[in-house]
Amino acid sequence: MSFCDPRQISLEVPAASSESMAEGAPIIYLDPATVAEARRRGDDPRKLEECTKYLMTHIYGLLPGPPVPIAAARTHAACAAAASDGVDRISALPDAILRNIVSRLPVKDAARTAALSRRWRPLWRSTPLVLVDAHLFPRGRSFGVSASAPTRADTPGIVAAVSRILAAHPGPFRCVHLLCGFMGSYQAQLEHWLRFLAAKGVDDLILVNRPWPFEAALPAAILRISTLTRLYIGMWKFPDIAGLPTNTAFPNLRELGIYAVAMEKEGREVEFIVARSPVLETLNIQGGNTQVLRLRLEHRSLRCVQICSCCVENLAVVDAPCLERLVLYDSLSKDDSCVRVKIVHAPRLRLLGNLETGFHMLEIHDTFVSAGIRSSPSALFTSVKILGLNVNFGVRHDAQMLPNFLKCFPNAESLHVVCAKCSEATSLVSPNFWDDAGPIESIVSHVNVLTFREFKGEANAISFLKYFVQNAQMVKNVAVVLANPQFTSYSIDTLWTAKILKSVRWASKISSMQVYRSDDSEGGLIWSFQRGSDYSIRDPFVY
Amino acid sequence: MAAAAAEATTDGGGKMIILISADGKRFEVTEAVASQSQLISNMIEDDCTENGVRLPNVDGDILTMVVDYCNMHAGDAAAAGDTMKASSTEEELKKFDAELVQALENPVLFKLILAANFLNIKSLLDMTCQRVADMMSGKTPEQMRETFSIENDFTPEEEAAIRQENAWAFDD
Repeated sequence: MSFCDPRQISLEVPAASSESMAEGAPIIYLDPATVAEARRRGDDPRKLEECTKYLMTHIYGLLPGPPVPIAAARTHAACAAAASDGVDRISALPDAILRNIVSRLPVKDAARTAALSRRWRPLWRSTPLVLVDAHLFPRGRSFGVSASAPTRADTPGIVAAVSRILAAHPGPFRCVHLLCGFMGSYQAQLEHWLRFLAAKGVDDLILVNRPWPFEAALPAAILRISTLTRLYIGMWKFPDIAGLPTNTAFPNLRELGIYAVAMEKEGREVEFIVARSPVLETLNIQGGNTQVLRLRLEHRSLRCVQICSCCVENLAVVDAPCLERLVLYDSLSKDDSCVRVKIVHAPRLRLLGNLETGFHMLEIHDTFVSAGIRSSPSALFTSVKILGLNVNFGVRHDAQMLPNFLKCFPNAESLHVVCAKCSEATSLVSPNFWDDAGPIESIVSHVNVLTFREFKGEANAISFLKYFVQNAQMVKNVAVVLANPQFTSYSIDTLWTAKILKSVRWASKISSMQVYRSDDSEGGLIWSFQRGSDYSIRDPFVY
Repeated sequence: MAAAAAEATTDGGGKMIILISADGKRFEVTEAVASQSQLISNMIEDDCTENGVRLPNVDGDILTMVVDYCNMHAGDAAAAGDTMKASSTEEELKKFDAELVQALENPVLFKLILAANFLNIKSLLDMTCQRVADMMSGKTPEQMRETFSIENDFTPEEEAAIRQENAWAFDD
């Protein structure tokens, strides 16, 4: 499959970042073949380079951090004074404590401790390995997408060092985070690493390729690493799952992240891993190309599923008794067709977002939610307390769907509305539309927090906000976040001077309203997977 | 569980426990504070804290630091239900921890590590081990030896062989 077309990368480069597209800047991501191919077709390779850079920035931002910070050491190296009394106390510590200390060192420093003395000689090898490839660079270089980030020329060095480390350390490997290599032409080494990882055992593995080629093949050997507790893969082509041994299993896998990975079987690959991971709790999927996904989830222990920037054609949560959070963020729809979201059995689902009233066709139990249909008891989702909705208030149909969606969640306490980017001319709903839609139980009796993001003053959004404050008896906090002024002329002053909300009688006596101004890029906040699956944060949508 | 919680709220912290250091200093702390030590928590469960808990390998000055740390962190669990409260104390805690750890110098640091290890207070052990790691990080073996007065007992040939074995670790 050829991915030489920038349009295949679905993440749009925001206006601000494309300005930085300097003529003379070196090409880092594209390989010569891709540059030549783009030129041959009359495309500007820099556009593709910028798209790729943007995607990589995005992916790096969504990954869990390393256990040992990158390049933090420099600041500390100078600060520690030598022991004043010349007594070696550190070597008297028990082995377990010394291993604890060694495990906190960047891999080179950790391995260097073997040269300190006989006491220290065996410690690194007997400490579960922490290998973060960014630590292999001289200090002061970053691993991300900045000027000091790794280039293609650094890859041979990284590959050689990683190969030696994985061979030198007997295992187990606590943590292996490999994000710096352009691995497209190192398939054999990669396969070799994965075999080492499978044989010696690794807990926490992050494996992200740097393009191009855009979809380097990920060797199937990765599916033989049965010790994993956490796995993130990014920028690969998923291995072919046909013909894998039937006993493939991930008995300890709790967290799985799949970012910008091409899947030929449109998501069956995800189902394959999920079905073989009996204790999986968190599933994070980030799109990155226009690939279509179909997912059917049936799992006993999943607690949190987050799917961002994906073109999910069909999502069915068939049976997920532990599922608490389901986040579909920045959903894409292919050719503007409807996306079916079917939830059959998820009795503990507390948080659901961000449903798109425009193209998500919600199916609860066996009832479709669509315009004009009264909610029926079988289409009620009583467990959901936190609800996120994306509404394109400029499109009458989308605004009109809002009450239908709200009525499915009678017990929602936090309501988070994002105003979708408005591409069509505003067509108004009638002034009485919201009242005529009949009482919405959640708004009347339960919602205590409303956030309204990317607010651009659309007439339908204003009339909904009015309706909301006139009816929401329990609301304590209303936060309106205006879109970045780069993308809307609507201002805080307009909202207040229009007396939109002062002229109406608020149903709640105890509510307060704050108006903020967003500095997010167009389309709003980028969802944080880490925040979304952090259960100590009760409501990750809150502003 | 319910009974313990009720007790804790009525007399502002629950039952008191006496900790006795190696040099005979006595520290009176609540069960909630003391049970951050897994060792003491187990003793509380086994009902053997009646006559005070003797800690024969922890000196008074080190135990003072440990008790300060535990007092400061005892609120963690209680505040977890209230997000606003938790976030404000979290900042205070971070500041407290950073100051504590920065102030630690060589002899005290290692005594505190041993105390945290013996008492089995994971967060304190992690924090102090991290401090040592920060002191080693980015250094050559010579600089590490100098920092901690580690004697090089290798012959030059042995050391050269070790460096050769993991040459990738010594290339910058």
